[in-house]
Amino acid sequence: MAEDVKNVNENKEEQYSLNDDRRVKVLSPGALVIKRFLRNRLAVLGLIMLITMFIFSFVGGMVVPYGQDEQFYTYTYLDKEYVGVTRNNDLRYAVAEGQQFPTILQAQFLLALGKGNDTFTYKDVDYKTVNEGPDFYSISTADGTMLAIAYKDIVNAADGMAEPSFSVKYEGLKAYVNGASSFVADGKEYQLDEDSNILLDGETIGYISRFVVAARENGVVLTRDFKERLEEALDSGVQEFSYTGEDGVEHTYPISYDASAQVWSVKEETKTYVYSSYEKPSLKHPLGTDNNGMDMLVRLMYGGRVSLIIGFIVVIIETVLGVIMGGISGYFGGWIDNLIMRLVDIFYCIPSMPIIIILGAAMDNMQVDPQIRMLYLMLILGFLGWAGIARMVRGQILSLREQEFMTAAEACGISVSRRIFKHLIPNVIPQLIVSCTMGLGSVILTEATLSFLGLGVKFPFASWGNIISDVNNSFVMTTYWFIWIPAGVCLLITVLGFNFVGDGLRDAFDPKMKR
Amino acid sequence: MAGVKELAEGVGRAHPEPLNKSPEQVDVEMEKRKERIEQEIHTNKKRSGSLEIENNYTPVTYDDQYILMVNALKKYFPIKGGMVTKTIGWVKAVDGVTFNLRRGTTMGLVGESGCGKTTTGRAILRLGGEKSGGQVLFNGQEIYDLSPKEMRALRTKMQIIFQDPFSSLSPRLPVGEIIGEAVREHNLVPKSEFNDYIDKVMDDCGLQPFHKDRYPHEFSGGQRQRICIARALALNPEFVVCDEPVSALDVSIQAQIINLLKELQQKRSLTYLFISHDLSVVEHISDVVGVMYLGNLVEYGSTADIFRNPLHPYTKALFSAIPIPDPKAKMNRIVLEGSIPSPANPPSGCKFHTRCAQCMERCKVEAPKQIEVEKDHYVVCHLYDK
Amino acid sequence: MAKKKAEGYLSAKESRRISKQNRKITNELEKKRKRKNVPESEYLTTMHDPNNSVEFDNLHTYFFTDSGTVKSVDGVTFEVPIGKTVGVVGESGCGKSVTSLSLMQLLQRPQGQIVEGEIRLNLGDKAYDVAKMPYEKLQDLRGNFVSMIFQEPMTALNPVFRIGDQLEEVLELHNKDMSKEKMKARTIELLEMVGIANSEGVYKMFPHELSGGMRQRVVIAMALACRPKVIIADEPTTALDVTIQAQVLDLLRNLKDKINSSIMFITHDLGVIAEMADYVVVMYAGRIVEKGTAEEIFDNPAHPYTIGLMASKPVVGKQVDHLYSIPGKVPNPINMPNYCYFKDRCEMCVGRCDGAYPEEVSISPTHKVSCYRYYADAEKGGNA
Repeated sequence: MAEDVKNVNENKEEQYSLNDDRRVKVLSPGALVIKRFLRNRLAVLGLIMLITMFIFSFVGGMVVPYGQDEQFYTYTYLDKEYVGVTRNNDLRYAVAEGQQFPTILQAQFLLALGKGNDTFTYKDVDYKTVNEGPDFYSISTADGTMLAIAYKDIVNAADGMAEPSFSVKYEGLKAYVNGASSFVADGKEYQLDEDSNILLDGETIGYISRFVVAARENGVVLTRDFKERLEEALDSGVQEFSYTGEDGVEHTYPISYDASAQVWSVKEETKTYVYSSYEKPSLKHPLGTDNNGMDMLVRLMYGGRVSLIIGFIVVIIETVLGVIMGGISGYFGGWIDNLIMRLVDIFYCIPSMPIIIILGAAMDNMQVDPQIRMLYLMLILGFLGWAGIARMVRGQILSLREQEFMTAAEACGISVSRRIFKHLIPNVIPQLIVSCTMGLGSVILTEATLSFLGLGVKFPFASWGNIISDVNNSFVMTTYWFIWIPAGVCLLITVLGFNFVGDGLRDAFDPKMKR
Repeated sequence: MAGVKELAEGVGRAHPEPLNKSPEQVDVEMEKRKERIEQEIHTNKKRSGSLEIENNYTPVTYDDQYILMVNALKKYFPIKGGMVTKTIGWVKAVDGVTFNLRRGTTMGLVGESGCGKTTTGRAILRLGGEKSGGQVLFNGQEIYDLSPKEMRALRTKMQIIFQDPFSSLSPRLPVGEIIGEAVREHNLVPKSEFNDYIDKVMDDCGLQPFHKDRYPHEFSGGQRQRICIARALALNPEFVVCDEPVSALDVSIQAQIINLLKELQQKRSLTYLFISHDLSVVEHISDVVGVMYLGNLVEYGSTADIFRNPLHPYTKALFSAIPIPDPKAKMNRIVLEGSIPSPANPPSGCKFHTRCAQCMERCKVEAPKQIEVEKDHYVVCHLYDK
Repeated sequence: MAKKKAEGYLSAKESRRISKQNRKITNELEKKRKRKNVPESEYLTTMHDPNNSVEFDNLHTYFFTDSGTVKSVDGVTFEVPIGKTVGVVGESGCGKSVTSLSLMQLLQRPQGQIVEGEIRLNLGDKAYDVAKMPYEKLQDLRGNFVSMIFQEPMTALNPVFRIGDQLEEVLELHNKDMSKEKMKARTIELLEMVGIANSEGVYKMFPHELSGGMRQRVVIAMALACRPKVIIADEPTTALDVTIQAQVLDLLRNLKDKINSSIMFITHDLGVIAEMADYVVVMYAGRIVEKGTAEEIFDNPAHPYTIGLMASKPVVGKQVDHLYSIPGKVPNPINMPNYCYFKDRCEMCVGRCDGAYPEEVSISPTHKVSCYRYYADAEKGGNA
């Protein structure tokens, strides 16, 4: 055991006697701190994390080809409800010219129909019904005056044609149910072809069909041809139906049938030019795109830049204010000290979160420009945060002032400014650096929190907080993981990095310099 | 040696078994403490009216054989209290100290911790604010009358070496800078000679030139103390206050530093005020010794006189308490009761009367005056007031 | 002049290698130490002399630091007889405190390790080797058989507890079935024993209400609470004023006789040692350079270091113009030379000093010194 130990230091060159001072390498306190810092693995890890995030945020933004608010578009095929088709199962009524067939009579008629009667009476008037064919009835008064017809096969007007008259409908339907190929109405002869078209002088004026085809959107006129083809398709029970329109482009329409409503809905695939939002990660967009069709990776980089810059500026504001106030307080003491410390107490009492939230809401209301808003945010955060640093600096200065080297400097007749800047400040800096480093992490978190609440950095500027705030429901959270996980990881790495480095620095600065 | 031994034995006879009494003594001490606390409360109430510091002394005239003349020097620290921090009393750290210091000699200042020796040393250098009363004449010049600028210029003439070599060096400056800073500040040497000058000072103090670039944390206690000495001497002072310069050092290092101080004194004809609680060191280095108790000099005279013939009961007790590195030496000593009272509220009359074995009624009410018992041997005690 | 290459500072690589090696060594030692249920036979031992209460035998305590192994205690052998006071003197860093911490197993682990040697502790009917004892077992002995008085009375007492509570806590640790009233009576008795008359009052006080001397008395009372056989006093009076020091030293001396225990008194003050100790051990750079009775050491110091140490301390009543100061400084503890550690500073070197570190030589049955200058005398004496 003892042997092992002895071997450790054997291969040293023996130029000086063993306890010669010159054998020791000269290290300034700063170099010592760095050396100790670099020995701390966790701190080095933290440093690497930070450097990575810095390069990612600042260099990354320059390297990538996209801009921070560049939006990407894409064509998507949207299945739009195009046509609804129903098979008519209700009796429809056509009323003869000059006659009345009010709803109450319709009801009486249906009642009689249900009972199998061919007559019914309403208000002492007798009505007679005649079954002219399947689902086709004519209703007349007892004196034989034709009142109305009830039918299920519908006589439609052809494109651009007027609605057929009652007698055309009546005669047409009669011919349709009887299988006749022509009929006469209003003194004109109409042909009825195999496709149930009603022709007058070779011109189609209407057609008879059990289906009701209606466009779902206003202003869309469906051609007879289209309707016919659609009906054929429906009859054959296919799921999809192609139709070559007037423009010569073949469209495909998926058909779905809702059995409960007995409605076929025909959808049209339309190609739309939209933001490519929530695009899955691909080579073009390694982390996909966000809600607004912006590249996530680029947003992350710019967001990091904003978060880090805000962190640094806020900490710089805090530090400058804190050092000045704490320095004055500690060095001069007396009533100034008292005043500043009470001010610090007051600042400690201010509930900063509510204030920032209120101010954020006020700025929302005033519609402040996002860039100016960012500036305000930094100022507010900095202004609310200096108290802790001031207190720390004051404490440090108070304890340093009592150190003998300060007395020694005074005894040597060294001027006050030199005493402050050469002896006092350098000894406060270690603690300052440590608390700033730790502070950076917490400022970044605060900023993220505010941005998440929509009160911090606003669109179009990115920040990790407002990137995460895109995730506002569980659907987005579970489906579009690539939106919030990378931002969360960035935030985690940065804050953790700052804390590791801060801890490492504190250990490294820890003045165990006494040998 | 002989003197002290005899003294110890003599006193021992008077108190054959001091230790067996110690419970009662401590009892008494506790009683007194209680009394004192009550008294303190009492006086605190009255105090508000009498916060004025008495400052009546007869001014001294300058005598040029003395580099330093201290006359009735007072240094009080305020006790703050109340809602709006207001002075409610004084800690009388130095309460009327008078002595003169000849050029080229060393005066030792001894006493227990808390007796005000360090404060005296600093007050003489006008470190840590204004005096509360009395005079400090440095080469005939009242230093508290100087403007800050004049004071800064005078600082090169009077220097201080501290007890703790760890806290008295700024940790972030290299040694060369620590030593040379003030030299440059006061433009003591031309720029071209600056480096050589610093090297020479460092060499005088037993430091090597390559130490210049190093930082204090790389040095051992003894070397740091050398740096402190070099810093003080680089300004080429006439007078140096050594505030317990060897207390924090190991025995063998102590000897090195003491020798160095003595050597430098001869070389540069320095005057020292050597503050220490270690009597043997004080005896070794001093020509004159002052014994302090609770802000006052109780005895003051040449080293030989004081060590041969201590007069004040406190000096006697102090000397008898020194451990002698000889196992055969007789262990007879005066054990002082308790510890030093609070300087915020010192006992009335003679401040030592609470612990004095020879306390008389008179001591409790009347403060004794300085009496010259032999030539240049002063004592402040009623016992010698004939 | 200075060659850059020759600078002996450690490169990062080297330092990593050392710390890796250190970890290996300390892990092994720690593993050995952390075993559960160590059989008593493993640390049961016998005293070489039943009149001793502690025997340090070839104790090696090393600190495995990142810059190398510091051999704080490197082969220390001495004994503390029952009822006697042994003074350990030496400068800071000579290993005197580490020796006592080894006995209490209060070393800063895992860096600090006893790597070799025995510390035999006499428990009356049996003896234990503290170096091999498991920590929990020693816990039972602490306070009971060995207790320690620290240098700083300020920091040795917990400022938020009353004096009485702190004392009772110690008592309770070792006398679990003592009743409350009995405990209080014993505490007050203890306070009286250390010369605190107003013991009832002090019992209820907080540490800050007491002066330094009173505090040190309380600390001593704590150390004595369980009537330990061995008291380690690590610079108990260094922080005190001379007058208070005198009080405390008197107290310690009287108490030792009262409860008949041994004191291991560690100090750098030769005066205090002379007053307190029956035996004196002088340590230098982790080794004992000289040991003997107090009279022998003070009347006839043999080792050049002891002589130098005594000459460098001014003595009241003894006027010298120039104090002797030992030249040079203590060698680097990481890199000790392979000859006499004091040789570089010694002004009494003889030719043989170039050889290996000198073995211990007896000048008288009790007086031993590690110096080549006495080799001849010893050989002669041996022959005669």
